[in-house]
Amino acid sequence: MAFDILKSGKNKPPLKPKPVEEMPHTKLGIEYKEWCNSHKTRHKWRNIRWTALIFMNLLFVVSFAFDLSILEGSLSGSRLIGFYLMDPFNALQVLAVSSTTGYIVHLTMNFWIGLFTILLFWFFLGGRTYCSWMCPYHFLAENMEKLHNYFVKKKMIKEHSFHIGLRFVFWIGFLILAVVTQQLVFEDLNVVGITSRAMIYGPGLLLLWVVGVLLFEIVYSKRFWCRYVCPIGTTWSLVGKLSPLTIKFDLDKCGYCRDCQDVCLVPHELWFVQRGKATQKVHYTGSDCTRCGLCIDTCGGNALTYTIKGWGAVL
Amino acid sequence: MAKKQIGRREFLISGGIAVGALAVVGTGAHYLDVARSDKQLRQDFLRPPGAINEVEFMYGCIKCGLCVQICPVQAIKLAGAHEGLSYGTPYIDVREQACDFSCDAMQCVETCPTAVLNFIPFKEAGLAAVEKATEGVVDLRNSDINPFEVQKVAMKETVRMGKAHVIKDTCLAHQGKGFKGISRGKDFEGIYRAPDSKVAWATPLKDKEFDREICNLCVTECPIGEKAIVFEPRRRDGKMRPRVLEGCTGCGVCVMVCPTEKPSIVVEPIKS
Repeated sequence: MAFDILKSGKNKPPLKPKPVEEMPHTKLGIEYKEWCNSHKTRHKWRNIRWTALIFMNLLFVVSFAFDLSILEGSLSGSRLIGFYLMDPFNALQVLAVSSTTGYIVHLTMNFWIGLFTILLFWFFLGGRTYCSWMCPYHFLAENMEKLHNYFVKKKMIKEHSFHIGLRFVFWIGFLILAVVTQQLVFEDLNVVGITSRAMIYGPGLLLLWVVGVLLFEIVYSKRFWCRYVCPIGTTWSLVGKLSPLTIKFDLDKCGYCRDCQDVCLVPHELWFVQRGKATQKVHYTGSDCTRCGLCIDTCGGNALTYTIKGWGAVL
Repeated sequence: MAKKQIGRREFLISGGIAVGALAVVGTGAHYLDVARSDKQLRQDFLRPPGAINEVEFMYGCIKCGLCVQICPVQAIKLAGAHEGLSYGTPYIDVREQACDFSCDAMQCVETCPTAVLNFIPFKEAGLAAVEKATEGVVDLRNSDINPFEVQKVAMKETVRMGKAHVIKDTCLAHQGKGFKGISRGKDFEGIYRAPDSKVAWATPLKDKEFDREICNLCVTECPIGEKAIVFEPRRRDGKMRPRVLEGCTGCGVCVMVCPTEKPSIVVEPIKS
């Protein structure tokens, strides 16, 4: 029973779709379209998130520029007021290579402390929360996505999507590549690290790669890096499997408009919002969800909210 | 069932593309690595103090830049894309800004989380030196020995980034010439703590005016001193000229202060 909160409920038989009388717009006595558009200009969580993201990344920049010991280093590895933090996929690569060569015994205590602290921290905040609340590349891609959507809407380009499991191929692939070549190959392609370092230590030629990936996302496949490649996001996704902080879906308030799926980076996590798909009255998003809050902002019926899973009674 | 099969097919196709892409990246990385290994051992690409051998360095360095941030003279920089696979790893261009040990405690080494800048040898050397210096001393408070000073000196003398060697063709001393003025010009940005400096921190090189009958800047400005480089008469004709000794740490202050247009003393990284 205690593990009920961990189950997505996807394999259960779906509930019957709600009749018109139970739809939220009928209850309010307004037109369906009007109900759908009622929160189109609300950007509460987006603004909070962008402020937090920019603040944290600026803290890196400012710490180096003015020699303050607040948040030193970069997103690959840093010290928050002297307390080490590690990038988990970077650390995984180092662990993978160093355990085959025997170098693992030399890794410092700061490395282990940094790794476990960051894993614990983002575990409580939801794993991929890192992506939307911290990652500078996410910020760029999120804004470029609007351009992509515009082009798709104007029918200038076609949308290409891939299998969501592709990430795991890359995740394992980059780990194997690190062991085989004894180099942190991914770090040379890591747009997150490159963007972060470019902001802190000054831009370099490798920013062209970031621009290239962004262009690919604009003209070919929406959010290609974040959705199908990024092993850092995949690591966080694995960390966040049992995270308490998540997004709660209340079927009673849902109007089946699927606006939330349109704005979502990982629409497959919102599978239950479609008409006749939900199997329970209440659903929680899974570990791929970045807890960005875009769906919360856009929802006409406030059916989606942040929640701490399993703590509902306490709070 | 049909839908599931489509999903699987889709996954296999895109997974195949992904594996192909990874293979290309891997092969590319291999060739870049081969191209890199010799090129890397250059005098403008010294690794920071305490760097372990290049192979382990390449997978151990996570490119966080903490060593860059902690260095008080900003000698350490991160490599750009033109360095290929070394992108993002720290190096010191001693001609532009040498490591002058004004941090006094190997801070870049201490801050490194993956120990590719390995602190252990420094720690051991420091402790051994303190033990040796305090041998037989009953009361430290009444003695002249400052264990911190002893430790600091021992630690910096343990550094082996490379070894300097003099290029005789251009060296002013070898030609019997002197030097007067500001060694690298008024626009040079480099800073260092000279051995005769009255302050504990690094000061700009451009603020210091030299006047030497026979140029010996590399000798007088060396932070290690007579263990690393000496100014002595040549056996052949008795002319004074600098000679690098085994104690050279490869910090590169000599390279930075050298007044000739191209440095007449260069640091060669130690191949390990």
